[in-house]
Amino acid sequence: MSDLLSFLGGLDLQELWGIVWLSLWVSAAALMLATAIALPLAALLALRRFPGRDAVINTLHTFMGLPPVVVGLFLYLLLSRQGLLGFLSLLYTPGAMVLAQTILAWPIVASLAHAAIVNVDPVIRQAAVTLGATPRQQAVTIIKEARYGIISAIMAGFGRANAEVGAVLIVGGNIAGYTRVMTTAIALETDKGNFELGIVLGIILLALALLANLALRRLQRRGRGAGLEMSSWA
Amino acid sequence: MGLRLEAASLRKTYNSNPVLRDCSYAFAAGRTYAFLGPNGSGKSTLFRILALLEQADAGQVNYLENGAALGQNLELRRRFTLVLPRPGIFNTTVFHNVAYGLKIRGVKSGELEVRVREILASVGLAHKRGQRALDLSSGETKRLGLARAMVLAPEILFLDEPTANIDPRNTEIIEDIILRMKAGGRATILMITHDPAQADRLGDELLYFKDGRLLAG
Amino acid sequence: MGYSFWLKTWMAGLMLTLMLAGVKAAAETIHLRCASTTSTENSGLFKYLLPIFEKKTGIHVDVVAVGTGAAIEIGKRGDADMLMVHAKAQELQAVQEGYFVNRHDLMYNDFVIIGPAGDPLQIKGLTSAVDAFKKIYAAGGPFVSRGDKSGTNVKELALWKAAGLDPKGKPWYLEVGQGMEKTQRLANEKRAYTLSDRGTWLATKDKDRLEMQIVLEGDPSLFNQYGVMVVNPEKHPQVKYKEAMTFINWLTSPEGQQTIAAFRDAHGNQLFIPNAK
Repeated sequence: MSDLLSFLGGLDLQELWGIVWLSLWVSAAALMLATAIALPLAALLALRRFPGRDAVINTLHTFMGLPPVVVGLFLYLLLSRQGLLGFLSLLYTPGAMVLAQTILAWPIVASLAHAAIVNVDPVIRQAAVTLGATPRQQAVTIIKEARYGIISAIMAGFGRANAEVGAVLIVGGNIAGYTRVMTTAIALETDKGNFELGIVLGIILLALALLANLALRRLQRRGRGAGLEMSSWA
Repeated sequence: MGLRLEAASLRKTYNSNPVLRDCSYAFAAGRTYAFLGPNGSGKSTLFRILALLEQADAGQVNYLENGAALGQNLELRRRFTLVLPRPGIFNTTVFHNVAYGLKIRGVKSGELEVRVREILASVGLAHKRGQRALDLSSGETKRLGLARAMVLAPEILFLDEPTANIDPRNTEIIEDIILRMKAGGRATILMITHDPAQADRLGDELLYFKDGRLLAG
Repeated sequence: MGYSFWLKTWMAGLMLTLMLAGVKAAAETIHLRCASTTSTENSGLFKYLLPIFEKKTGIHVDVVAVGTGAAIEIGKRGDADMLMVHAKAQELQAVQEGYFVNRHDLMYNDFVIIGPAGDPLQIKGLTSAVDAFKKIYAAGGPFVSRGDKSGTNVKELALWKAAGLDPKGKPWYLEVGQGMEKTQRLANEKRAYTLSDRGTWLATKDKDRLEMQIVLEGDPSLFNQYGVMVVNPEKHPQVKYKEAMTFINWLTSPEGQQTIAAFRDAHGNQLFIPNAK
């Protein structure tokens, strides 16, 4: 046991727990916000035709490829005292990290949810119509039919948010006990040469990713499949 | 009662393929019509147009009651239903699939439960009500598609190949269901089938679909 | 599970998150933000010092640890309340420019020149850091520089300047743009000389299994002076001036100075020598 503790290289368990808890909390909050933006947009893009729709979808895909450190930099400039949103005093707080993760996760959720909805068999809408559904009821039915794909999209977004390092490092400041999450802690410990500790944290991260992937597999089996293969973890 | 369907000079072309050339017929209320014709001849298209799922290029579909043409709004559309050859079963339980049409019409849960249970029994799926609908066999799936439509007590029922590609036992069960519906006497049934014997067994009148036209048998 | 259930759960979660965030913000202890350097943070000084200070005053100090250049920039922008860095010349300059006030010397540690275990350039025996640099230049190094405007880097560049030499661009002069640990490990791999701070050296030489040794130390020009200063509240009114001064006053008080002197790293070495006046 003392071997194990020395293996943890000076990071006490309370600190470790604090880091893990903060990571989950921040990513969960980010996903709630990201979902609030992404799902309505995905439904709109999938179910309604409007001029410029293709352009929006293309923009969405571009957003997915945003380099995270660039997002971090822009967010930093925005949240800094001298920035437009400086008055919010969000810089170097968990709130800034939530924002960063939200910005990076929402295009993924939107994109994948959109694909899930679009991939619903057209016969579903036809069936709904034959059974007397109004256009609104048809939309709800289609979205419900895509629910497993949508949940998968949310989990993919969570994975993306949880794995983020660069942006949260820049806007969070990696402050001990306050804005230090698993990924930034790993970066710090690696930099310090504390590889063992970095590995412990890495294992925890991987374990979480594995759990999420298992849950994802179960979801895909319960869904219609619709050919949505998702390797969601960076 | 007495909702009547009339088709007048319907024309439809797909990719410069004339699928419907000049379809006209006046369907009497309460009768069962069996449609026969070669594969891919356009019968399904005709049904979709009659069921107001698609628009014809020319001609008219009229729903009449007491001699007057009805406005083709949601209210009318909810008085008839079409069962597709691939029924489009929803990814939920058997029960919820059947309940769907009632739910969107705002039927309250007490009445809904009674009606769904009754229909499930009549199609022989009562014991599977809690099962995932997508796990049913092809025969059971067809029965479920039928049940979804029947629970709505439609005045006109379109059946597109109700027993295609399923085993003889399920075919028998479904034919039985249709016969019982006929015995109830109220619905107008339009049915596409490949099987002339089946058409004979179930239909009051036979219609042949050829070269985009309807011919009485 | 019905959809209205999940929708309501999700909405509840969202509301709860937002509420908690708000409550957290309101009910928190006072957060004083101090920008400092990675080497100070990595020495473990803050982990030791801050709980003592918080227990005494109830003020919680958040340390944002970046490079010296970045720390000063953060202070100038008003994104921190105070600074603890080790770049006296730059600090004084920034105070003159009006960005900071109330600068005090705090403590010092010293820099050391480290090199490969065999000391091929025979730097050992020299007493002047400038002479050592001249010898390294003449022999063509190799020499690894942090190249990141950190306090260590600034000191290193000052030494080259004092020697009248400019190694920039020479193939044997490697600017790596990294923190001190990484720079040491790189020097180790390249069998090169480099300038490090004693604290980092002591904390990492065994851990990183460096095959290196101190080749020159004790020259007063190698002293690494730490200073503290508050962001000028006239430039940034939101600065927690009172709390920052509480911290600075404590740090420079006899009690605070003794606390600093009592700090030991994992090997029992004293890393910082207090010298506030």
